Amino acid sequence: MTKTQPVIEVQHVCKTYFMEGGNSQSVLKDINFSVNSGEFVAIMGPSGSGKSTLMNILGCLDKPTSGTYILNGQDVSTKDDIALAKIRGQTIGFVFQNFNLMMKRTIADNVSLPLVYQNINERTRYKRAIEMLNRVNLKGYQSRLPSQISGGMQQRVAIARALINNPAIIFADEPTGNLDSKTSDEIMELFTTLNKQGITIVLVTHEDDVADYATRMIKISDGHKVYDGLRKEYSKEKDKPC
Amino acid sequence: MLKAILKEAWISITAYKLRTFLTMLGIMIGVAAVVMMVSAGQAVQTYITKSFESIGSNLIVIGPAEIVSGGVRGGRGLPSVTVADITALKELKDVEATSFIMPAAVQAVYGSSNYGVSVRGTNPEFIVINNWEIEDGIMFTEKDVKAAKPYIVIGQTVVDELFGLQNPLGKTMRLKGKPFTVIGTLKEKGDGLMGDDQDNVILMPWTTVRQRLEGSERPQYTNIAFVKAVSEDKMERVSKRVEYMLRTRHRLKEGVKNDFTIRLMTEMVEKVRSVGFILSALLAVIASISLIVGSIGIMNMMLVSVTERTREIGTRKALGAPNNWIMLQFLAESILISFIGSFIGMIFGVIFSQIGGYILNYEVPISIWSVIVSVTVAVVVGIISGLMPALKAMRLNPIDALRYQ
Ligand SMILES: Nc1ncnc2c1ncn2[C@@H]1O[C@H](COP(=O)(O)OP(=O)(O)OP(=O)(O)O)[C@@H](O)[C@H]1O
Ligand SMILES: [Mg+2]
Repeated sequence: MTKTQPVIEVQHVCKTYFMEGGNSQSVLKDINFSVNSGEFVAIMGPSGSGKSTLMNILGCLDKPTSGTYILNGQDVSTKDDIALAKIRGQTIGFVFQNFNLMMKRTIADNVSLPLVYQNINERTRYKRAIEMLNRVNLKGYQSRLPSQISGGMQQRVAIARALINNPAIIFADEPTGNLDSKTSDEIMELFTTLNKQGITIVLVTHEDDVADYATRMIKISDGHKVYDGLRKEYSKEKDKPC
Repeated sequence: MLKAILKEAWISITAYKLRTFLTMLGIMIGVAAVVMMVSAGQAVQTYITKSFESIGSNLIVIGPAEIVSGGVRGGRGLPSVTVADITALKELKDVEATSFIMPAAVQAVYGSSNYGVSVRGTNPEFIVINNWEIEDGIMFTEKDVKAAKPYIVIGQTVVDELFGLQNPLGKTMRLKGKPFTVIGTLKEKGDGLMGDDQDNVILMPWTTVRQRLEGSERPQYTNIAFVKAVSEDKMERVSKRVEYMLRTRHRLKEGVKNDFTIRLMTEMVEKVRSVGFILSALLAVIASISLIVGSIGIMNMMLVSVTERTREIGTRKALGAPNNWIMLQFLAESILISFIGSFIGMIFGVIFSQIGGYILNYEVPISIWSVIVSVTVAVVVGIISGLMPALKAMRLNPIDALRYQ
């Protein structure tokens, strides 16, 4: 497998929400792009433009209304719920804006949660959790509760959890949305390190500073892709006086 | 996988200790109530059975005819069976013994004490037929009956009330002002089926009752009479012969109803036993209502829990939890709660029914049934009350669940 092998191929993806009362809203309109293994992509766009909707489809939490989504060479738009759950558990890591940790469970329990669904025994799960905590610089925190650590640390716990299955890709929807700028930088540096280790990263953000960590940027506006290219190029374009 | 599900379920329910405990309490109370009620019912049944066993089951009881007016039973008619009838029955085939009661209620006086007792005029066979035993002294004989001797055999209550620590044998006591000599005492029997004191009794020759207590103008009728068959399997035939003989002696024409009733002890035992069974079943049904309330409690808690943990469910699904895993976890939570609750409830039920039995002086059997029933109930209740919330959790759309605030 070469480095240019696409892990994500999005072809003519449309998403329409059908609401009660017969109303419908077309949120994604004919989106096309592909992401190669090892890329670091930031998805940007105004609020309500459909970024989260796109991320949910990419993360196999939702299916496109039409179009094809190929992940790791498999067409996932045709798979059933069981197969999708398996893909989510084995090849994808998720990082959420509000961390979504189980507040009554220890950090180690939180980190190892995805392994529970892979039928991996408790000892191995614990061992792997410790390894992942080391990877996100949270050595020694395994027995604490999420409420006993800071927000930035909680997000690093969430990243450790996303890493535990050795995923090919990590999806993060506004991972720094609840953090201050200093902590955001720490988290983004962690993502950069992970990306250098070969993990493909796709994240959604509002903030230019955060997007600057990415190499590539996709901009969505009103359900259409309006920019797709190097992040540096986009910044230059924007800086150009009109 | 099952182990992992149970573990997750266990951690989840122990995370909210008070809430889980209170929910469990409902099931605990329900199961304890069922176990206690079933035990109470069984205690009554055992007690009834034992009481009959002590009398002996190959007994035929003859009483006055039932008065039936307009199809409704209206109590008992006047006694119609005489001592002579009963004595004659003794000659029938397969009859071991016959006896009867000619009652009189009087005040017994000894020294300065007096006490209301139930006097039974009868024949010497009475104690044999009823499986009563003599504690001290002797029973009066057929000769004493013929001579209408003022001999009495007294029960333990009479002994206690009138003689205290004195030996009553050979003492003279007064009934209706006339003297009687105590020739024997009866072994203690305890309370009867209706809670009556079976030891508050004085036995004497029936002839003596007529001559000394009631006056000889009293007819020779008996209120209740007993025929003991030689064995239980001869009962049916003996009762036929008894009926035939009594009808002949009473000169009843064909088509005329019996002026007496014949009951087999075996039938009576069955009847009372089935009443006891219905009683226990009824008690169990009533107690089950509290079990239903407990089960609603579990369902309620689980529904709240699913709503409260919507985001957690969404996260779990995003991280690879299959839908059936989520469903089984919630189901396991409700089954664990109801299982543990039932188990504790069962233990308390058994303990309380034993304590209750001890206080009321009843023998309460510990039945394997209450264990089986409560465990089954626990699992069934757990599944029924947990299924709806578990399905709700399973059907949650992960996206909506993750957006849930
Ligand atoms: N489950 C849904 N049902 C109906 N409409 C939805 C649903 N999810 C999103 N939408 C609508 O789709 C549009 C795009 O939503 P989406 O969450 O993808 O936007 P976004 O780009 O992530 O915005 P933000 O930056 O605010 O997170 C919005 O108008 C939203 O109201
Ligand atoms: Mg969004």
